[in-house]
Amino acid sequence: MSTTTAIKQEALPVTSEAAAIEINNLVVSYGDKRAVDGLSLSVPIGSVYGFLGPNGAGKTTTIKTLLGFRQPNGGSAKVLGYDIVTQSLALRARVGYVSEVNSMYDYLTIPQMADFCRATSLRWDQSAVDRYLKMFGLPLKARVKQLSKGMKSQLAFSLAMGSQPDLLILDEPTSGLDPIARHDLLNQLVGEVAAGGTTVFFSSHILSEVEAVADWVGIINAGKLVISSELDQLKSSQKVLKLIYAEAPPPAEIDALRALPGAVRVDQEGRSVRITVHGDVNTLSQLVQARPYALRDAEIVDLNLEDIFLEYMKEGGNGR
Amino acid sequence: MAIWLDVNSRSGVPIYVQIVEQVKHAIEVGAVQPGDQLPTVRQLAIDLTIAPNTIVKAYNELQMLGLIESKAGMGTIVANLNGSIRKQQTETLLARLHDVVRDAASLGISAEELAARFDAEINQFYKQGKE
Repeated sequence: MSTTTAIKQEALPVTSEAAAIEINNLVVSYGDKRAVDGLSLSVPIGSVYGFLGPNGAGKTTTIKTLLGFRQPNGGSAKVLGYDIVTQSLALRARVGYVSEVNSMYDYLTIPQMADFCRATSLRWDQSAVDRYLKMFGLPLKARVKQLSKGMKSQLAFSLAMGSQPDLLILDEPTSGLDPIARHDLLNQLVGEVAAGGTTVFFSSHILSEVEAVADWVGIINAGKLVISSELDQLKSSQKVLKLIYAEAPPPAEIDALRALPGAVRVDQEGRSVRITVHGDVNTLSQLVQARPYALRDAEIVDLNLEDIFLEYMKEGGNGR
Repeated sequence: MAIWLDVNSRSGVPIYVQIVEQVKHAIEVGAVQPGDQLPTVRQLAIDLTIAPNTIVKAYNELQMLGLIESKAGMGTIVANLNGSIRKQQTETLLARLHDVVRDAASLGISAEELAARFDAEINQFYKQGKE
């Protein structure tokens, strides 16, 4: 605790960050296994960033490394402009963190837990903490060990907001929450935290909740970035073109379709052809219709985040 | 709460596009009138549970289209469009008429039959109006 007090007395180093999180070719290994394998990622300031990936993709390891709980084996990263290795104390003073498995002292009551956090934080807004505790309806006299899993994550979120963070990082924040509690928490994330100017970075594998609240998404798989994009941009630029031909097109034509600009995947089943498109689907559609095989129907299909996620996992080949 | 806004985040249509289209539509059909206040970004973020930046993006787009404006102390309001709403409504209507004729043609309905049906509809409606 002496180190934390030490920073309290001096001003935090000034940084001029362009992004809330900037990860550059990060590598984190557990023994021989690379959990994070050359990850590069940028999280814009003010965004609500959903960090997605299948189980074991490296989401939690990435988050722990960003917060300085693990040392990277290669590459670098900055959080709010602070280097994660050399400035991790200053970094943690401005970042709120809600972990997947909350490590809190079981024998403390909620107010004692709040006092403990206040003592170790640079900034503290007790009224914010009280407001969240009240909103979640947490029993103030209870000890941490008496709380359910969902209540513990609500408590962790309330306490993380007490330090008035500029960036809030949450690891699977809604796991273990019932639908109402989940909705309340997501509402707080967008309506209070993000609308108040705090950047939100949260990992999840529940695509529908990410789709609802995030404006940016990043997908990782096997420790590598698959895509990072504004969600609306992703939805505008990724479509499927469904074609029904008058007669089944020959293999040569399918190869020709594969070579068209923007076509990333072509599946055929008799007279039906399905083209996955990244980029300008209208131009591609016109090109397809100008080809010498008669079409019965050409339909552009919008993709939701789940479709997009699954498409990327198929392309990656090693997804599940 | 803006009950006329209903965003489907599971759709493949970008959310900001959905908001822009729905606000446009609400203005066209008169659900909101010039001078009416739109919800604040924060309020809408809470009501719809979507990222505030997405709403900012939609509002910026609507502002560029001249449909809404930000006024100090009043928040975001529906712009006074001075008859341009009526013009837009008329255009939308004519576009629908165009679509109906095109669809009828592709169903193989003859021009005479369509004109007869159209006359019948006009007679029925305008007669009712006179009573």
